[in-house]
Amino acid sequence: MNIQKTWFITGASKGFGLEFIKQLLEKGDNVAATSRTLEGLTAAAGTHQNLLSLAVNLTDEQSVADAFKQTVERFGSVDVVVNNAGFGLFGAVEELSDAEARNNFDVNVFGALNVVRQAMPYLRAQKNGHIFNISSIGGYTGGFAGFGIYCATKFAVSGFTEALAVEAKPFNINVTLVLPGYFRTNFLESDSLVTPKNIIEDYKGARESQELHTQQINNNQPGDPVKGVAEMIKMVEVQNPPVYFFLGSDAVEMAGKKIASVEEEIAAWKSNSTATNF
Amino acid sequence: MQQQVKTWFITGASKGLGLALVKQLLAAGQKVAATSRSASQLIENLGYTGDDFLSISLNLTDDNAVKQAIAQTVATFGSIDVLINNAGYGIGGSLEELSDNEVRTAFDVNVFGAINTIRHTLPYMRQQRNGHIINISSIAGYAAGSGWSAYAGTKFALFGLTETLAEDVKSFGIKATVVAPGAFRTSFLTDESIVLPQSPIADYEDVRASYSRTLSYNGNQAGDPEKAAALMIEAGFNPNPPLHLFLGTDAYNRAMAKIETITAEIQSLKSISVSTDY
Repeated sequence: MNIQKTWFITGASKGFGLEFIKQLLEKGDNVAATSRTLEGLTAAAGTHQNLLSLAVNLTDEQSVADAFKQTVERFGSVDVVVNNAGFGLFGAVEELSDAEARNNFDVNVFGALNVVRQAMPYLRAQKNGHIFNISSIGGYTGGFAGFGIYCATKFAVSGFTEALAVEAKPFNINVTLVLPGYFRTNFLESDSLVTPKNIIEDYKGARESQELHTQQINNNQPGDPVKGVAEMIKMVEVQNPPVYFFLGSDAVEMAGKKIASVEEEIAAWKSNSTATNF
Repeated sequence: MQQQVKTWFITGASKGLGLALVKQLLAAGQKVAATSRSASQLIENLGYTGDDFLSISLNLTDDNAVKQAIAQTVATFGSIDVLINNAGYGIGGSLEELSDNEVRTAFDVNVFGAINTIRHTLPYMRQQRNGHIINISSIAGYAAGSGWSAYAGTKFALFGLTETLAEDVKSFGIKATVVAPGAFRTSFLTDESIVLPQSPIADYEDVRASYSRTLSYNGNQAGDPEKAAALMIEAGFNPNPPLHLFLGTDAYNRAMAKIETITAEIQSLKSISVSTDY
C-alpha cells in the first residue's frame, strides 16, 4: 500500500523541513524542496535522484507557481504539500514597526497562502492530495509575552487552515493543521529568531521572556524533530485525519489549559453573552 | 455606575457596531474620538457636534496618520483610555479563489490597521499606567466558517494578538479584550460591505452555497448591535474585564461546539502527540 508520493516542502534547508527531506528520501518518496537559496539547500540536503531542490521566494507568487510547475514536470504530480517555512519574531507589539510586523506575515501567512493557491489546481484536478500547514502551539494559545505578532501570524494560519479543510474536502484533499510545541530546531537561534530593532526599556517582562527563550529554552526544547516529522509523514496514510494535530506533550498540555480557561470565561460571561438578541 | 469620564478611540465608526458605540458613549457623557473614511460623513450620520466628540478621517493602514490621529485625540481630551479596534469587513471565498491582493487587503484593514492603532496608543497608556484595548474579532476568529477562510485568518489573528498583548502590558495596568460577535444586524452582509472573490471558481459549489445561506440572513440577524455596544462599554468600564468576550447566542453555541470538536481531536491523537518528546 506504499505508493511513491511526491512531496513539496517549503523552508527545507533546516529544522523540520530538512528532516522531512531526509526521512522521505529514505522512504523512497520524491521530494521537491524549497529554500531561499539553492546553496543553502544543497549544502544541507545534498543531492539525490528523487530530490528536486528549488530556490523560491515564497512571497513572489510567480516564483511559487514556477516551483510547482517544475515539480510536476520532474515527478509527474504533486501529492503532499507541507507549508513549513516560517520564522519567529520576538518583540512587544509596541516595539515592532509596521514593516517588521508585515515581514513576519509575509512569510508565515502570505507565503503559505501563495503555496496553497498554487497547489490547489493540481490537487483538485487529481481529486487527491494532502496539505500540511505548520502553525504552532502559539497559533492556538497566545499569552507568550513578546511573541504577539508571531502568535498573530500562527493564529491566522490556524484559522484559514481550519476553513481550508472544509473547502478542500469535496475534492478528496485532506488538510492537517500541525501545532508543534517546543522542538529542538534552529527556531530560537540568532540566525532564525528575529528580534526588534527598537527596544523599549519598559517592557521588562518581554525582555525576560526573550532571555528565557534564547538562553534557556534554546537547545533544551523537549521535542525531537525526528519523531515529530515521522508522525507527520505517517499522517498521510490516515483515511480521515483530524484537522488539529498538536505535536509534543507541552503542546497538548498548553492546549488543554487554554481550553479550560476559555471554558471558564465563557461560563462566567454566559448570561451577558447570550442576552444580545433583539 | 459610569461616573468616570474616559476618552474612547473607536475605529470604523461610520456604521454598525462602531456607530452604536459612539452614540451610546456620547449619551453617557464620555469623550469620544471616532475614525472613519470620512469625518464629515460621520458627523452627518451622527447629527452631533459637541466638544466631547472628535471625528477623524483616517486611513488605518497609514501608520503615520494613525500616530497623528491618536496624538490629536490626546491633545484634545488629555488622555486616551479605551481603544476599540472595530474597523473591519467580511470577505468570502476559498483560499484558492482569493488573490494575494484580495487577501492582503483584508489583512490590511482587519489586522494591520488594528496593530497600528495599538502601537501608537500604548505609549500614552503606558505613561498613564492605565488603559484598555478592545479588539473586535468575530466568532469566526474562534471557529472558522467554511467559505470564509481568509476572513477566519484575519479574525483568528486578532485572538492571538490580543491574548499575547494582554501579557505584554499586564504589568502596566493595561487590559486587553478580544470580542467575538456572532451575527448582528448591521450592514456587515450588505453589498457595500461584504467582499466576494473577483475570480470565483465554479468547482467550489459548497463555498457558493455557504455564502448564499449567510447572505440570506442580511437584515434578519438575531443580534442587536445596541446591546452588543452596551456590553462592550460595560467591559470598558470593568476593572477586571474578560480576555475573551463572545457576543450572541450563536457565538456562544459555536464556541462551545468548537471546544467539543477540538477536545475530541486532541484526545484521538493524544498518544501520538505526546510521543514526540526526546
